[in-house]
Amino acid sequence: MAQETGLFIYGIVPSDVEPTPDAAGVGDPPGEVSAIRHGELAALVSEVSLTEPIGRPADLSAYQELVDGTAAVAPVLPVRFGTVVTGPDAVADLLDAHHDRFAAALDEFEGRIQYTVHGRYDEAKLIGAVLAGDPAAAELAEQVRGHEEAATRAQRIRLGEIISQAVELRREAENRQLVDALGPLVVASAPRAPSNEMDAANAAFLVDQDREDEFVAAVEEYAEQRRELIRTRLLGPLAPYDFVSAHQLTG
Amino acid sequence: MTVSTNQGPPGGALDRGGAGSSLADVVETVLDKGVVIDAQVSVNVVGIQLLEINARITVASIETYLRFAQAVDRFDITPEHQAGLPDLVGGVAGALDEGGAVSGVGGTVGALGGAVRDVVGGLGPGDQDRDQHQDRDQHRDRDQHRDRDRHRDRDRHRDRDRPRRRRDEER
Repeated sequence: MAQETGLFIYGIVPSDVEPTPDAAGVGDPPGEVSAIRHGELAALVSEVSLTEPIGRPADLSAYQELVDGTAAVAPVLPVRFGTVVTGPDAVADLLDAHHDRFAAALDEFEGRIQYTVHGRYDEAKLIGAVLAGDPAAAELAEQVRGHEEAATRAQRIRLGEIISQAVELRREAENRQLVDALGPLVVASAPRAPSNEMDAANAAFLVDQDREDEFVAAVEEYAEQRRELIRTRLLGPLAPYDFVSAHQLTG
Repeated sequence: MTVSTNQGPPGGALDRGGAGSSLADVVETVLDKGVVIDAQVSVNVVGIQLLEINARITVASIETYLRFAQAVDRFDITPEHQAGLPDLVGGVAGALDEGGAVSGVGGTVGALGGAVRDVVGGLGPGDQDRDQHQDRDQHRDRDQHRDRDRHRDRDRHRDRDRPRRRRDEER
Protein backbone atom coordinates (compact mmCIF):
# COMPACT_ATOMS: atom_id res chain seq x y z
CA MET A 1 0.00 0.00 0.00
CA ALA A 2 1.31 3.40 -0.92
CA GLN A 3 2.55 5.65 1.82
CA GLU A 4 0.18 8.52 2.55
CA THR A 5 2.29 10.90 4.59
CA GLY A 6 5.86 12.11 4.46
CA LEU A 7 8.09 14.51 6.32
CA PHE A 8 8.62 17.94 4.83
CA ILE A 9 12.09 19.24 5.73
CA TYR A 10 12.43 23.00 6.29
CA GLY A 11 16.01 23.35 7.35
CA ILE A 12 18.94 22.00 9.28
CA VAL A 13 19.86 23.64 12.56
CA PRO A 14 22.05 23.03 15.60
CA SER A 15 20.58 20.39 17.89
CA ASP A 16 19.76 22.92 20.61
CA VAL A 17 17.08 24.56 18.47
CA GLU A 18 13.53 23.57 19.15
CA PRO A 19 10.35 24.79 17.52
CA THR A 20 7.76 26.50 19.67
CA PRO A 21 4.54 24.51 20.11
CA ASP A 22 2.58 26.86 17.89
CA ALA A 23 5.06 26.94 15.00
CA ALA A 24 2.95 26.22 11.93
CA GLY A 25 4.18 24.35 8.89
CA VAL A 26 3.01 23.80 5.34
CA GLY A 27 -0.22 22.06 4.47
CA ASP A 28 -3.86 22.64 5.22
CA PRO A 29 -4.35 22.48 8.13
CA PRO A 30 -0.79 23.62 8.88
CA GLY A 31 1.48 20.82 10.00
CA GLU A 32 2.99 20.74 13.46
CA VAL A 33 6.69 21.48 13.29
CA SER A 34 9.09 19.31 15.22
CA ALA A 35 12.84 18.75 15.39
CA ILE A 36 14.53 15.45 14.63
CA ARG A 37 17.95 15.40 16.29
CA HIS A 38 21.09 13.56 15.37
CA GLY A 39 24.44 14.39 16.93
CA GLU A 40 25.01 18.13 16.89
CA LEU A 41 22.30 18.62 14.29
CA ALA A 42 18.55 18.77 14.06
CA ALA A 43 16.17 18.98 11.13
CA LEU A 44 12.98 21.01 11.36
CA VAL A 45 10.19 18.92 9.84
CA SER A 46 6.44 18.54 9.70
CA GLU A 47 4.20 15.79 8.45
CA VAL A 48 2.54 16.37 5.09
CA SER A 49 -0.04 14.44 3.17
CA LEU A 50 1.29 12.91 -0.01
CA THR A 51 -2.10 13.04 -1.65
CA GLU A 52 -2.47 16.82 -1.38
CA PRO A 53 -0.17 18.91 -3.55
CA ILE A 54 1.82 21.62 -1.80
CA GLY A 55 3.02 24.93 -3.15
CA ARG A 56 0.09 27.16 -2.32
CA PRO A 57 1.03 30.73 -1.41
CA ALA A 58 0.31 29.86 2.22
CA ASP A 59 2.77 26.95 2.00
CA LEU A 60 5.53 29.15 0.66
CA SER A 61 4.85 31.78 3.29
CA ALA A 62 4.79 29.20 6.07
CA TYR A 63 8.11 27.79 4.87
CA GLN A 64 9.75 31.19 4.69
CA GLU A 65 8.37 32.43 8.00
CA LEU A 66 9.59 29.34 9.78
CA VAL A 67 13.03 29.34 8.18
CA ASP A 68 13.54 33.10 8.57
CA GLY A 69 12.18 33.04 12.10
CA THR A 70 14.70 30.35 12.92
CA ALA A 71 17.52 32.27 11.26
CA ALA A 72 16.83 35.20 13.58
CA VAL A 73 17.77 33.13 16.62
CA ALA A 74 20.09 30.43 15.30
CA PRO A 75 22.04 29.47 12.21
CA VAL A 76 19.97 27.49 9.72
CA LEU A 77 20.64 25.75 6.43
CA PRO A 78 17.43 26.09 4.44
CA VAL A 79 16.51 22.88 2.67
CA ARG A 80 15.01 23.43 -0.75
CA PHE A 81 11.27 23.98 -0.66
CA GLY A 82 9.42 20.80 -1.49
CA THR A 83 11.89 18.32 -0.04
CA VAL A 84 9.86 15.51 1.50
CA VAL A 85 11.25 12.23 2.80
CA THR A 86 9.66 9.00 3.91
CA GLY A 87 9.99 9.44 7.66
CA PRO A 88 12.17 10.09 10.72
CA ASP A 89 14.65 7.37 9.73
CA ALA A 90 15.29 9.04 6.40
CA VAL A 91 15.90 12.36 8.17
CA ALA A 92 18.34 10.72 10.56
CA ASP A 93 20.12 9.07 7.62
CA LEU A 94 20.44 12.44 5.94
CA LEU A 95 21.86 14.11 9.03
CA ASP A 96 24.18 11.19 9.66
CA ALA A 97 25.52 11.02 6.12
CA HIS A 98 26.50 14.69 6.08
CA HIS A 99 26.87 15.46 9.75
CA ASP A 100 30.28 17.12 9.67
CA ARG A 101 29.64 19.13 6.55
CA PHE A 102 26.34 20.44 7.85
CA ALA A 103 27.85 21.22 11.23
CA ALA A 104 30.73 23.13 9.63
CA ALA A 105 28.29 25.10 7.47
CA LEU A 106 26.18 26.00 10.50
CA ASP A 107 29.30 27.22 12.28
CA GLU A 108 29.97 29.45 9.32
CA PHE A 109 26.50 30.98 9.53
CA GLU A 110 26.58 31.51 13.29
CA GLY A 111 25.81 35.16 13.97
CA ARG A 112 25.27 35.91 10.29
CA ILE A 113 22.13 36.74 8.40
CA GLN A 114 21.14 37.36 4.79
CA TYR A 115 19.75 40.57 3.38
CA THR A 116 18.58 40.98 -0.18
CA VAL A 117 18.75 44.37 -1.87
CA HIS A 118 16.43 44.82 -4.82
CA GLY A 119 16.31 47.96 -6.91
CA ARG A 120 13.82 48.72 -9.66
CA TYR A 121 13.99 51.55 -12.14
CA ASP A 122 11.25 54.10 -12.43
CA GLU A 123 10.23 53.15 -15.94
CA ALA A 124 9.32 56.60 -17.20
CA LYS A 125 12.48 58.21 -15.88
CA LEU A 126 14.74 55.47 -17.12
CA ILE A 127 13.27 55.49 -20.62
CA GLY A 128 13.53 59.26 -20.62
CA ALA A 129 17.19 58.99 -19.72
CA VAL A 130 17.79 56.48 -22.50
CA LEU A 131 16.12 58.73 -25.06
CA ALA A 132 18.09 61.70 -23.81
CA GLY A 133 21.33 59.82 -24.22
CA ASP A 134 20.67 58.25 -27.59
CA PRO A 135 19.67 60.46 -30.55
CA ALA A 136 18.69 57.43 -32.63
CA ALA A 137 16.29 56.31 -29.93
CA ALA A 138 14.90 59.82 -29.57
CA GLU A 139 14.28 59.94 -33.32
CA LEU A 140 12.48 56.59 -33.23
CA ALA A 141 10.43 57.82 -30.29
CA GLU A 142 9.30 60.78 -32.39
CA GLN A 143 8.31 58.41 -35.19
CA VAL A 144 6.16 56.17 -33.04
CA ARG A 145 4.69 58.65 -30.60
CA GLY A 146 1.00 59.12 -31.24
CA HIS A 147 0.97 56.70 -34.16
CA GLU A 148 -0.83 53.40 -34.25
CA GLU A 149 1.18 50.36 -33.31
CA ALA A 150 0.38 48.50 -36.52
CA ALA A 151 1.71 51.33 -38.66
CA THR A 152 4.93 51.75 -36.69
CA ARG A 153 5.64 48.21 -35.61
CA ALA A 154 9.15 48.00 -37.03
CA GLN A 155 10.19 51.29 -35.42
CA ARG A 156 8.62 50.23 -32.14
CA ILE A 157 10.52 46.98 -32.07
CA ARG A 158 13.77 48.75 -32.83
CA LEU A 159 13.09 51.40 -30.20
CA GLY A 160 12.15 48.79 -27.62
CA GLU A 161 15.28 46.83 -28.40
CA ILE A 162 17.46 49.88 -27.86
CA ILE A 163 15.76 50.57 -24.54
CA SER A 164 16.02 46.94 -23.50
CA GLN A 165 19.74 46.81 -24.25
CA ALA A 166 20.33 50.08 -22.44
CA VAL A 167 18.52 48.73 -19.38
CA GLU A 168 20.66 45.59 -19.41
CA LEU A 169 23.88 47.58 -19.55
CA ARG A 170 22.77 49.92 -16.81
CA ARG A 171 21.68 46.95 -14.73
CA GLU A 172 25.09 45.35 -14.97
CA ALA A 173 26.75 48.59 -13.94
CA GLU A 174 24.24 49.14 -11.16
CA ASN A 175 24.80 45.67 -9.75
CA ARG A 176 28.53 46.27 -9.68
CA GLN A 177 28.04 49.57 -7.90
CA LEU A 178 25.75 47.97 -5.35
CA VAL A 179 28.22 45.19 -4.58
CA ASP A 180 31.12 47.65 -4.47
CA ALA A 181 29.23 49.93 -2.09
CA LEU A 182 28.27 47.19 0.35
CA GLY A 183 31.12 44.73 -0.14
CA PRO A 184 33.35 46.12 2.62
CA LEU A 185 30.54 45.66 5.15
CA VAL A 186 29.56 42.09 4.40
CA VAL A 187 30.93 38.58 4.72
CA ALA A 188 29.91 37.60 1.19
CA SER A 189 27.69 38.70 -1.63
CA ALA A 190 25.81 36.78 -4.28
CA PRO A 191 24.11 38.06 -7.41
CA ARG A 192 20.46 37.31 -7.95
CA ALA A 193 18.79 37.03 -11.32
CA PRO A 194 16.64 39.99 -12.34
CA SER A 195 12.98 39.27 -11.77
CA ASN A 196 11.57 42.08 -13.82
CA GLU A 197 12.61 43.85 -16.99
CA MET A 198 12.88 47.07 -14.98
CA ASP A 199 15.15 45.56 -12.35
CA ALA A 200 18.09 47.83 -11.60
CA ALA A 201 19.95 45.70 -9.08
CA ASN A 202 19.36 42.48 -7.23
CA ALA A 203 21.86 40.87 -4.88
CA ALA A 204 22.03 38.96 -1.62
CA PHE A 205 24.45 39.81 1.18
CA LEU A 206 25.61 37.74 4.12
CA VAL A 207 25.99 40.12 7.04
CA ASP A 208 27.49 39.73 10.50
CA GLN A 209 24.70 40.49 12.90
CA ASP A 210 26.89 42.85 14.87
CA ARG A 211 27.34 44.94 11.72
CA GLU A 212 23.67 44.87 10.78
CA ASP A 213 23.00 48.51 11.64
CA GLU A 214 26.02 49.65 9.72
CA PHE A 215 24.94 47.58 6.71
CA VAL A 216 21.37 48.90 6.77
CA ALA A 217 22.66 52.46 7.02
CA ALA A 218 24.83 51.88 3.95
CA VAL A 219 21.88 50.49 2.00
CA GLU A 220 19.89 53.51 3.05
CA GLU A 221 22.60 55.78 1.72
CA TYR A 222 22.76 53.80 -1.53
CA ALA A 223 19.00 54.14 -1.91
CA GLU A 224 19.06 57.83 -1.08
CA GLN A 225 21.65 58.51 -3.77
CA ARG A 226 19.43 56.89 -6.40
CA ARG A 227 15.97 57.73 -5.22
CA GLU A 228 15.12 59.78 -8.30
CA LEU A 229 15.60 56.85 -10.62
CA ILE A 230 15.49 53.64 -8.59
CA ARG A 231 13.13 52.30 -5.97
CA THR A 232 15.33 50.32 -3.61
CA ARG A 233 13.98 47.68 -1.29
CA LEU A 234 15.71 45.79 1.47
CA LEU A 235 14.44 42.30 2.29
CA GLY A 236 15.53 40.73 5.50
CA PRO A 237 16.83 39.58 7.81
CA LEU A 238 16.51 36.29 5.98
CA ALA A 239 17.93 32.79 6.26
CA PRO A 240 21.04 32.42 4.07
CA TYR A 241 19.11 31.10 1.06
CA ASP A 242 21.63 32.42 -1.43
CA PHE A 243 24.71 31.22 0.42
CA VAL A 244 24.08 27.54 0.87
CA SER A 245 25.00 26.60 -2.67
CA ALA A 246 28.55 25.82 -1.56
CA HIS A 247 27.08 23.27 0.80
CA GLN A 248 24.74 21.67 -1.64
CA LEU A 249 25.09 17.96 -1.82
CA THR A 250 25.79 16.93 -5.33
CA GLY A 251 25.85 13.26 -4.57
CA MET B 1 20.68 53.72 12.11
CA THR B 2 18.25 55.80 10.16
CA VAL B 3 15.84 53.05 9.24
CA SER B 4 14.13 51.15 11.98
CA THR B 5 10.65 50.34 10.77
CA ASN B 6 9.21 48.46 7.84
CA GLN B 7 8.43 51.62 6.00
CA GLY B 8 11.49 53.58 6.87
CA PRO B 9 11.36 57.14 8.11
CA PRO B 10 8.99 59.54 6.38
CA GLY B 11 10.51 60.42 3.05
CA GLY B 12 13.16 57.73 3.35
CA ALA B 13 14.39 56.29 0.10
CA LEU B 14 14.61 52.70 1.26
CA ASP B 15 11.65 50.34 1.54
CA ARG B 16 12.00 47.63 4.11
CA GLY B 17 10.36 44.35 3.21
CA GLY B 18 9.33 42.85 6.49
CA ALA B 19 6.91 40.21 7.57
CA GLY B 20 4.32 41.59 5.21
CA SER B 21 6.32 40.96 2.07
CA SER B 22 4.37 39.98 -0.99
CA LEU B 23 3.99 36.56 -2.54
CA ALA B 24 6.28 37.67 -5.33
CA ASP B 25 8.98 38.38 -2.75
CA VAL B 26 8.46 35.03 -1.11
CA VAL B 27 8.67 33.19 -4.40
CA GLU B 28 11.78 35.09 -5.41
CA THR B 29 13.45 34.58 -2.10
CA VAL B 30 12.93 30.89 -1.52
CA LEU B 31 12.31 29.23 -4.85
CA ASP B 32 15.16 27.09 -6.13
CA LYS B 33 17.26 27.95 -3.11
CA GLY B 34 18.47 25.82 -0.27
CA VAL B 35 20.24 22.57 0.31
CA VAL B 36 19.44 19.86 -2.22
CA ILE B 37 19.26 16.34 -0.94
CA ASP B 38 21.70 14.14 -2.76
CA ALA B 39 21.39 10.82 -4.47
CA GLN B 40 22.58 8.86 -1.46
CA VAL B 41 19.49 9.75 0.48
CA SER B 42 17.14 10.29 -2.41
CA VAL B 43 15.75 6.78 -2.23
CA ASN B 44 13.89 8.14 0.75
CA VAL B 45 12.81 11.35 -0.92
CA VAL B 46 9.13 11.19 -1.64
CA GLY B 47 7.80 12.28 -4.99
CA ILE B 48 5.40 14.82 -3.65
CA GLN B 49 3.25 16.74 -6.04
CA LEU B 50 4.36 20.35 -6.15
CA LEU B 51 1.98 22.90 -7.53
CA GLU B 52 3.38 24.85 -10.40
CA ILE B 53 4.89 28.02 -9.06
CA ASN B 54 5.30 30.88 -11.43
CA ALA B 55 8.06 33.38 -11.00
CA ARG B 56 8.68 36.31 -13.21
CA ILE B 57 11.86 36.50 -15.16
CA THR B 58 13.27 38.93 -17.59
CA VAL B 59 12.83 37.77 -21.13
CA ALA B 60 13.96 40.10 -23.85
CA SER B 61 11.35 39.55 -26.51
CA ILE B 62 9.38 41.32 -29.17
CA GLU B 63 6.60 41.74 -26.64
CA THR B 64 9.00 43.44 -24.26
CA TYR B 65 10.22 45.76 -27.00
CA LEU B 66 6.69 46.71 -27.98
CA ARG B 67 5.81 47.31 -24.38
CA PHE B 68 8.76 49.65 -23.94
CA ALA B 69 7.67 51.52 -27.05
CA GLN B 70 4.17 51.81 -25.63
CA ALA B 71 5.68 53.24 -22.49
CA VAL B 72 7.21 55.99 -24.57
CA ASP B 73 3.67 56.93 -25.59
CA ARG B 74 2.13 56.37 -22.22
CA PHE B 75 4.44 58.53 -20.21
CA ASP B 76 4.85 61.13 -22.91
CA ILE B 77 8.52 60.81 -22.24
CA THR B 78 10.74 63.34 -23.84
CA PRO B 79 14.44 63.86 -23.28
CA GLU B 80 13.79 67.43 -22.17
CA HIS B 81 12.23 66.11 -18.98
CA GLN B 82 15.52 64.68 -17.93
CA ALA B 83 17.48 67.83 -17.20
CA GLY B 84 17.65 66.87 -13.53
CA LEU B 85 19.54 63.68 -14.17
CA PRO B 86 22.85 64.74 -15.64
CA ASP B 87 24.66 61.64 -14.51
CA LEU B 88 22.31 59.45 -16.47
CA VAL B 89 22.41 61.12 -19.82
CA GLY B 90 25.97 60.21 -20.64
CA GLY B 91 24.73 57.12 -22.38
CA VAL B 92 25.67 53.55 -22.11
CA ALA B 93 29.40 53.98 -22.13
CA GLY B 94 29.23 56.26 -19.14
CA ALA B 95 27.14 53.81 -17.21
CA LEU B 96 29.68 51.11 -17.85
CA ASP B 97 32.63 53.22 -16.82
CA GLU B 98 30.99 54.07 -13.55
CA GLY B 99 30.72 50.42 -12.72
CA GLY B 100 34.37 50.21 -11.89
CA ALA B 101 36.12 47.06 -10.91
CA VAL B 102 34.65 44.45 -8.66
CA SER B 103 37.08 43.71 -5.92
CA GLY B 104 37.58 41.87 -2.73
CA VAL B 105 34.15 40.47 -2.08
CA GLY B 106 34.48 36.85 -2.96
CA GLY B 107 34.33 34.67 -6.00
CA THR B 108 30.63 34.90 -6.61
CA VAL B 109 30.85 38.52 -7.54
CA GLY B 110 32.84 37.95 -10.66
CA ALA B 111 30.01 36.02 -12.19
CA LEU B 112 27.50 38.79 -11.70
CA GLY B 113 27.39 40.23 -15.18
CA GLY B 114 27.44 36.83 -16.75
CA ALA B 115 24.67 35.52 -14.59
CA VAL B 116 22.45 38.45 -15.43
CA ARG B 117 23.13 38.05 -19.10
CA ASP B 118 22.36 34.37 -19.01
CA VAL B 119 18.99 34.93 -17.52
CA VAL B 120 18.11 37.78 -19.78
CA GLY B 121 19.13 36.06 -22.94
CA GLY B 122 18.84 32.40 -22.23
CA LEU B 123 15.29 31.65 -21.26
CA GLY B 124 12.79 31.53 -24.02
CA PRO B 125 9.36 30.01 -23.70
CA GLY B 126 10.70 26.63 -24.71
CA ASP B 127 13.44 26.45 -22.18
CA GLN B 128 13.77 23.77 -19.60
CA ASP B 129 13.24 25.99 -16.62
CA ARG B 130 9.98 27.38 -17.77
CA ASP B 131 7.84 25.48 -15.31
CA GLN B 132 9.18 27.52 -12.50
CA HIS B 133 10.02 30.66 -14.33
CA GLN B 134 7.17 31.50 -16.58
CA ASP B 135 6.58 35.11 -17.04
CA ARG B 136 3.61 35.92 -14.89
CA ASP B 137 2.09 38.30 -17.34
CA GLN B 138 2.85 36.77 -20.66
CA HIS B 139 1.99 33.24 -19.72
CA ARG B 140 -0.91 33.87 -17.45
CA ASP B 141 -3.27 31.84 -19.58
CA ARG B 142 -1.19 28.77 -19.07
CA ASP B 143 -1.32 29.01 -15.33
CA GLN B 144 -3.89 26.50 -14.29
CA HIS B 145 -3.59 27.69 -10.74
CA ARG B 146 -4.28 31.30 -11.48
CA ASP B 147 -6.96 31.45 -8.85
CA ARG B 148 -4.26 31.23 -6.25
CA ASP B 149 -3.10 34.70 -7.14
CA ARG B 150 -6.42 36.18 -6.23
CA HIS B 151 -6.28 34.59 -2.84
CA ARG B 152 -2.66 35.19 -2.24
CA ASP B 153 -3.14 37.10 0.96
CA ARG B 154 -5.92 35.06 2.38
CA ASP B 155 -3.87 32.62 4.38
CA ARG B 156 -0.81 34.64 4.97
CA HIS B 157 -1.29 36.11 8.37
CA ARG B 158 -1.50 33.11 10.55
CA ASP B 159 0.04 33.63 13.92
CA ARG B 160 3.29 31.86 14.05
CA ASP B 161 5.96 32.01 16.62
CA ARG B 162 9.63 31.58 16.05
CA PRO B 163 11.50 28.54 17.11
CA ARG B 164 13.40 29.15 20.28
CA ARG B 165 16.87 28.19 21.03
CA ARG B 166 17.61 26.55 24.31
CA ARG B 167 20.95 28.24 24.45
CA ASP B 168 19.26 31.64 24.47
CA GLU B 169 16.90 30.75 27.26
CA GLU B 170 19.66 29.47 29.45
CA ARG B 171 21.57 32.69 29.30
